[in-house]
Amino acid sequence: MKRKGIQQMSWKGIAAFTVLILILPFLLSTSLMITKATFAGIYTIVAVGLGLLMGFAGQISLGQAAFYGVGAYSTAILTATFGLSPWLSLLIAIAAPALIAYILGHTMARLHGYYLAMATLAFGIVIHVLLVEWKGFTKGASGFYGIPKIEFFGFTFTQGISYYYLVWAFALLVIVLSLNIIHSRIGRALRSIHDSEVASSSMGVDTGRYKMQVFIISAMFAGIAGWLFAHMSYSISPGSFGLDGSILFLTMVVLGGSTSVWGAVFGALLITAISSFVQALGSKISFITSDFEHVLYGLILMLVVIFLPQGLFPAIAAKLKPLLEYAGRKKKAGNITAVKGDQRA
Amino acid sequence: MSYFIEFRDVSFRYREDQPWVLKDVSFNVQSDEWLAIIGHNGSGKSTIAKLMNGLLLPQKGEILVDGVQVTEDTIWEIRKKVGMVFQNPDNQFVGTTVKDDVAFGMENHGLPRKLMVERIQTSLAAVGMNDYEAHEPHRLSGGQKQRVAIASVLAVAPQLIILDEATAMLDPKGRLEIMETIRNVQEDQDLSLLTITHDLQEVVKADRVIVMNQGSKWLEGTPRDVFSEKDKLRNIGLDTPFVTKLAAELSAAGLPIQREPLNHQELLEDLWTLHSKM
Repeated sequence: MKRKGIQQMSWKGIAAFTVLILILPFLLSTSLMITKATFAGIYTIVAVGLGLLMGFAGQISLGQAAFYGVGAYSTAILTATFGLSPWLSLLIAIAAPALIAYILGHTMARLHGYYLAMATLAFGIVIHVLLVEWKGFTKGASGFYGIPKIEFFGFTFTQGISYYYLVWAFALLVIVLSLNIIHSRIGRALRSIHDSEVASSSMGVDTGRYKMQVFIISAMFAGIAGWLFAHMSYSISPGSFGLDGSILFLTMVVLGGSTSVWGAVFGALLITAISSFVQALGSKISFITSDFEHVLYGLILMLVVIFLPQGLFPAIAAKLKPLLEYAGRKKKAGNITAVKGDQRA
Repeated sequence: MSYFIEFRDVSFRYREDQPWVLKDVSFNVQSDEWLAIIGHNGSGKSTIAKLMNGLLLPQKGEILVDGVQVTEDTIWEIRKKVGMVFQNPDNQFVGTTVKDDVAFGMENHGLPRKLMVERIQTSLAAVGMNDYEAHEPHRLSGGQKQRVAIASVLAVAPQLIILDEATAMLDPKGRLEIMETIRNVQEDQDLSLLTITHDLQEVVKADRVIVMNQGSKWLEGTPRDVFSEKDKLRNIGLDTPFVTKLAAELSAAGLPIQREPLNHQELLEDLWTLHSKM
């Protein structure tokens, strides 16, 4: 059956985006750029999950980097310490953040808005402290070394093009899954919760259950990203999973636009590009350090919240929509003329 | 007498350190009745609506909906029986078409698809919006949006519809259209209706009125009874319809107005037969 409306447009978007992802490595000149593009894929996975939580369920999480860290450390410990296959540890890297989100969700069920943000912030700090202090398992602040690479039927995914494709395969899967969620019954329920929780409840939506579900989904996505991150690097350290990380993910979602899955993707790509640009600039100009990145993110976040509260992607899409509609009408009119011409012939 | 809703000594406050919003409120809503609740902001009228739908639960007293007490365990059953239409219909729209939005409530209640398709048609027809099912909701006028919101609630087949300031954002023409739609739907489908409103023209159409003041039921009666208490209402800062005020002025001027008129037609009836009574 032919899909209509938004869903059809989404599939076109996915097809175009997939082509872009496939050809991108051939356009990038250095291995560093491919690594950056791989990181963009990892960030996309976290940002899309956070976007679902923020833009559709109206909840703010400042602990997303902690879920990302739980995914990364659970696979690191299970594979490097206990010799488990990375594919089996993937299940744990997804299940562990999901379980934590479930427990947190129950305890935070009565929290809304900024209180929930503060609670997830506290959770993020707790996880960060645990990663630093639980040295027996995590090896502490110096980091966890010796994480094995992912193998698939004898093929090893090493850093580079192969890992880039692996990461983006997961990212595309997450994007497709998220688009399906927002176009499904769950998505409609989430949108109604975002608009008005009271109206939503009166229409028969179990708001608590849906908020919990999307919180768990966002944690699972962060877990997948953590798994990919851990096996990309030989080592991981708690510094990657602190408050800075959570704010970075939040910036991606706010910048791109939280009410659209593509907005989160756009935000993740843009922030990675900005980060790469600042780092490149830093290698040439001495006073531009890594701290400069945080200042820049803060500034971007402020400007977007003030001038484009819906985010960049919806704003750009709104500007392009009349042009696309005009092009569509023109194409349609052209087709009608062509049919008439055929009939005359 | 069959009561669809019973409030028994209900008290409610939003937080323990805050004052009671409702204080020992008791009343009932009969089946097929149109009850209007009026009162100042903060008088507790919207809290009553939320308590009826199980959006809030009382700290004291009990609420029965169709004989079932409203508790955490019964709220989903209650919400099938009590539908709510809010001030801003956009809050109830999540779909890309009118049809999707009407289906939304039924989808949440797990109705079978075949029944949903039937009810989309019948509920849109009931509010005169059957030609708009493929339209985008956000492109409709305020009145049309509110009619779609009513259709969405009707589709779930509730026994009571609560209109919580549902016409507050509409112009007078839009209000009139919505109230006519509501009256027709109520009569056709034997619904109970509860309107929470500031619009006095809505109140005069109700079967019964409850006036809330500072969290307590202050006055109860037919619209004619309630508006005859003009001075009392004025004392708590509530207005009366223009026609009621005009009738009072005419009475004060010595014209023997026999009854409390609720609309211009009733006053006109009194005035043109006045000479024969004098």
